[in-house]
Amino acid sequence: MVEISSDVIRGYNDTMILYILMREPSYGYNISKEIKRISDGKYAIKETTLYSAFTRMEKNGYIESFVANPDPEGNGKKRTYYRITNHGKEYYSNKCEEWDLTKEVVELFIEDKGE
Amino acid sequence: METIKNYLETMFAKLPNTPEVRKAKAELLQMMEDKYNELIDEGNNENTAVGTVISEFGNLDELAESLGLSKLVEETKANDDGIERRNISLEEVKDFISCRTRKAMFLALGILLIIVSIASPILFSSFSQPQLGVTLMFVLIALGVGSIIYSSFTDYEWKFIDEEPCSIDISTAKYVKDQRKSFEAVRALSLTTGIVLCIICWVPNIIFSTTKVVTFGPSLMFLLIGLGVYFIVYPNSVASAYEKLLELNGQTQFTGKYNKNEQINFVKYKSKKAETIVELYWPTVTCIYLIVSFLTFAWGITWIIWPIAGVAHKAVVINCQADDE
Repeated sequence: MVEISSDVIRGYNDTMILYILMREPSYGYNISKEIKRISDGKYAIKETTLYSAFTRMEKNGYIESFVANPDPEGNGKKRTYYRITNHGKEYYSNKCEEWDLTKEVVELFIEDKGE
Repeated sequence: METIKNYLETMFAKLPNTPEVRKAKAELLQMMEDKYNELIDEGNNENTAVGTVISEFGNLDELAESLGLSKLVEETKANDDGIERRNISLEEVKDFISCRTRKAMFLALGILLIIVSIASPILFSSFSQPQLGVTLMFVLIALGVGSIIYSSFTDYEWKFIDEEPCSIDISTAKYVKDQRKSFEAVRALSLTTGIVLCIICWVPNIIFSTTKVVTFGPSLMFLLIGLGVYFIVYPNSVASAYEKLLELNGQTQFTGKYNKNEQINFVKYKSKKAETIVELYWPTVTCIYLIVSFLTFAWGITWIIWPIAGVAHKAVVINCQADDE
């Protein structure tokens, strides 16, 4: 079975995280679960990768963190939540454009099987 | 879950103890815990859950890069002595310290009892009960020896610390250092008390020399010496436990360096010859003192050599030291 190489996907971890944060603020494990769900289990982001992305993007001002309780009734432990900033939204759409271009170019060099 | 915590501890053992690193550790643990709990809720057994969490953790190089620590991690890797070390947890460290404290107490108590035992025959000789005095002396010696032997067995379960290469992580090292720091005050007070007791041990002799019970003097003297030695032995023995813990890590590990950095106190000498002069200084002075004293038998005045030598020593050392660059 083919697996996604971490080298290739590295540049797009941020895009995936931002996509999830576009919908609503979320916290570490929830984001990694969403990535797994949306990719239909084809991609599982590593914890260190995820946390590195958070630190990097927070430093760049794409996301902001705050502490909240995932349980609305206030039971259980608090988590560090992240929300996307306007700057982050801008960055996200740039990344989407970049990917369209990348996909287009790489596609030209992929051998067409079957037909 | 304990396995996951230990795994994370080991991974982080070589990183410095900065707020960023602590935060990263806490956040990663939280993510791992969430994943672990969910895997368990889904009906996986503990081993599978732990295995999955650890295999999906990733590696620290990436993290170090985003925390701006990659240079540090590279350095550690290059310096790693490659020895497999047993990690000692904070809980174990606390146990070890309390165990060593108990050991120190029994050791010091044993020595105290043996010294005090000498006072017994002296004291009882005034009441013309020499047998009782001697008997009590042997009882005290037996108790003292027993206490010392017992003290050497108290830390039997910690023998591995001396025999295996071990390590402690940076936060544990910090705990030990804090403990050592707060113990420093106790130690200083205790040492001072001990030394003062040893110095004034002669006083009871003077006080009781004119009374009927002359033997109270020497008896009390041994009691004071005994207590003095107790107050000197106990804190030093406890302090050795802290030192032992801080020296566990190799020189190349951060926690190891952590301790060493503060203690290195190199004196550099101009040349090998200068170093030899400084090393031989006090033995030479001692020889001169003894020769002069025995030749002249003027012991009352020859002590003057010591203060003079003390002042001269400073001058010699300054002349022999290399200039600081």
